[in-house]
Amino acid sequence: MAVDDTTRSAAALPPPRMETGVAGWARTNLFSSLFNGLLTVIAGIVTLLALWYGLKWVFLDAEWRVIVELGGRFILGQYNTQSACPGQNCFWRPQVATLLATLLLGMGWGLTGRGVTRVIAITVAVVLGLLAFLPYSLEAMGYDVRLLLLANLPALLAGWVLARHTLLGTGRRVAVLAVASFLLSLVLIRGLPGIPGLQPVSVNQWGGLMLNLILAIGGITLSLPIGIALALGRRSRLPIVKILCITFIEVFRGVPLITLLFMSRHLVPLAFPEDFPQNALLNAAIVITLFSSAYMAENIRGGLQALHPGQAEAARALGLPGWHTTLLISLPQAIRNVIPAIVGQFIGLFKDTSLVYIIGMLDILRIGLDFVNGNIEFRDNKGEVIIFVALVFWIFTYGMSYVSGHIERHLGIGER
Amino acid sequence: MTTRQLPRVLVYQDIPVWRHAVIIQWTAQIASAIIVVALVVWFFANIADAIADRNISYSFTFLSREYQTPIGDFFIPYESSDTFLYAFWVAITNTLIVAVSGVILAILLGIFVGIARLSSNWIVAKIAMVYIEFFRNVPLLVQLYFWLYIVQELPSVVDADGRELGALIPGVLYVYNDGISLPWPSANDWTVALLWLATAAAAIAAGVAVHRRLTRRESETGRASHPMLGGLLFAFVIGAAAWLALSLVAGDSPFSISTPEPQGRFGRIGGGLTAKAGLMVLVVGLVIYTSSFIAEIVRAGIQSVGRGQIEAARALGLSQMDALWRVTFPQALRVVIPPLISQCLNLTKNSSLGGAIGYAELTSVGVTMTQTAPALPIFVLVMASYLAMSLTWSLIGNFYNRRMRFVGS
Repeated sequence: MAVDDTTRSAAALPPPRMETGVAGWARTNLFSSLFNGLLTVIAGIVTLLALWYGLKWVFLDAEWRVIVELGGRFILGQYNTQSACPGQNCFWRPQVATLLATLLLGMGWGLTGRGVTRVIAITVAVVLGLLAFLPYSLEAMGYDVRLLLLANLPALLAGWVLARHTLLGTGRRVAVLAVASFLLSLVLIRGLPGIPGLQPVSVNQWGGLMLNLILAIGGITLSLPIGIALALGRRSRLPIVKILCITFIEVFRGVPLITLLFMSRHLVPLAFPEDFPQNALLNAAIVITLFSSAYMAENIRGGLQALHPGQAEAARALGLPGWHTTLLISLPQAIRNVIPAIVGQFIGLFKDTSLVYIIGMLDILRIGLDFVNGNIEFRDNKGEVIIFVALVFWIFTYGMSYVSGHIERHLGIGER
Repeated sequence: MTTRQLPRVLVYQDIPVWRHAVIIQWTAQIASAIIVVALVVWFFANIADAIADRNISYSFTFLSREYQTPIGDFFIPYESSDTFLYAFWVAITNTLIVAVSGVILAILLGIFVGIARLSSNWIVAKIAMVYIEFFRNVPLLVQLYFWLYIVQELPSVVDADGRELGALIPGVLYVYNDGISLPWPSANDWTVALLWLATAAAAIAAGVAVHRRLTRRESETGRASHPMLGGLLFAFVIGAAAWLALSLVAGDSPFSISTPEPQGRFGRIGGGLTAKAGLMVLVVGLVIYTSSFIAEIVRAGIQSVGRGQIEAARALGLSQMDALWRVTFPQALRVVIPPLISQCLNLTKNSSLGGAIGYAELTSVGVTMTQTAPALPIFVLVMASYLAMSLTWSLIGNFYNRRMRFVGS
């Protein structure tokens, strides 16, 4: 009995105070040793100082008026100016392209149900919808613009309904639709000669975030298949194909993108007849895509190499022809295993779109810098512009790595 | 009956010649080779035509001409009357200086941040996480412009009254709106200096030999022999003795420290080592950007080492530091080296962004050259130089990989 009593009273004791609650947490995570305590104090002081000066700058010293003044130019660059689109309002064309994108996001949400697609889709649509309530005057931002921004919310729901309740609701069909609407968006933004309301806008007038996004989306969709082809070619047993692929990959990986872009500006025009219509945007898109696909090829090759040869052997033993083995057995597993690296490459590609100023294109960074350099009034606001652009880039890239993390956890990569 | 039920693939006789795997493969290969060769020939033939039309040469003879254009930064003596070839070499050294100093600093900072990311100290780990997530996800070009903006906002060295403004430590370290100046050893007499450098190199080699010998003695006899201390002491004593002897013989020490000193009222600095704003910003930007990637690589490498290894090391009585440096790190290196090498390569290539912030590196000098010389050979040279640098990095990586491989694999 005595033994029983002691056990009971011991079990009834509360845990030591220093191991639970805030004090316990601080003890294990901040002050586990003298060194750690010292580190905490120093790091804490540094963080507080950084926060103090950072917040002071953001809320008191910085003049964010320059961002307000730039406003739509950050998004569209010179696109909607009188010189690019004389006599009419071209603002609706990129906006319709945005509507198409939200529609597709809605379809993605409808297809996958819960999960990260829903978060992204709703966030994008709500943020776009909220932009309609920006406190600009009606001359600066008319009702048409605001209504088209608000229309993103119904577009999202329409997409969801389409995916849930019509025949369009399969992954393959949505993918085809996505490619089709990207091309349609390009046509919309470029315009078609002879059709009223769709007068052509030269690609040299495209700019801002729109330019970064077009280059990134185009590059991402094309660099993956090209990269897969190059990776398969590099692993092929056919000597000529192999040598061609290795040369391509190593040359494009060994040279900086800047050098390639300069070449596309100085050499590529020479390679075509003088009257051949030159398209700086297309040149940039091709160079960025090829550069990225060389990296993509190496990522996918890594995935293929990590695959156990037993997979391909089993497929062959089951009687699958060679290309079926590759397409249905090896590649899906290889790609699944290197999704983090692939998304990392996508992020790199998006960041690299900031380099297109070299061939005279005005991306979001260049629009902002040119504006502060050209306006005496805003000469001192360079810092604000750079911070804002960095934040815009960061939101997109961090969003991508967030999605990648979700996919990783969903597929259980690295857990087998 | 039974033969008809066999899968078709097994009936070889039915396959026509053009469906033989070998035939298909070689046709495809030859076709693709012809297409690629035709495209390349077409491309260059067009360029050659265009060049001929515009009456410009595309030979490499321009390399022996005088460049006659100033280069913003140079670390080997350069004058406008030097040849294109030499100017090209100047540009390559500019890129190499950024690449080498950037790689060393980025690796050091990256290891530091990577370890901090795994620290048991919550606040340190969070700071490292914010650092990594921010600098990894913002384009390098944006970051470079940001650092350039910060540097341009700094005060100048001296104001009109001659007061030192940009001094972090007056007389020693200056960080100002046009660059950074720090103390640097300068040779008093180059023969003496070189003599001492040679002796110092020999002393280091001897120190390494002592270290090796003491390590062997320690592992053979079990007696504490302090190999690190012994080696360092040995090398230091020889080096110091040589320094003293040379100072006595030559009447002056081989090197003296030259400190930066503001001169006049125009913000000029004499003495010490001065890096202009472009170089400083480029190195800082590249180091911070690349170190955030390296930190992630280091973190993954450390995490790849099994927990049992660290627990075993701790159980044997090694301190946390010793367990990290002697057990975790050597094993993590195997995972870390390949992606680390590719980051070094990336840093080298990213140095080409220096042109945007006014540093005369290879690409920007090459592009400037195209104004007075044919573009095609210049781009061929620029590309070849970058490819050579990439190849060097790959060779270093392969060499390490071979040394670090598991025995038997």
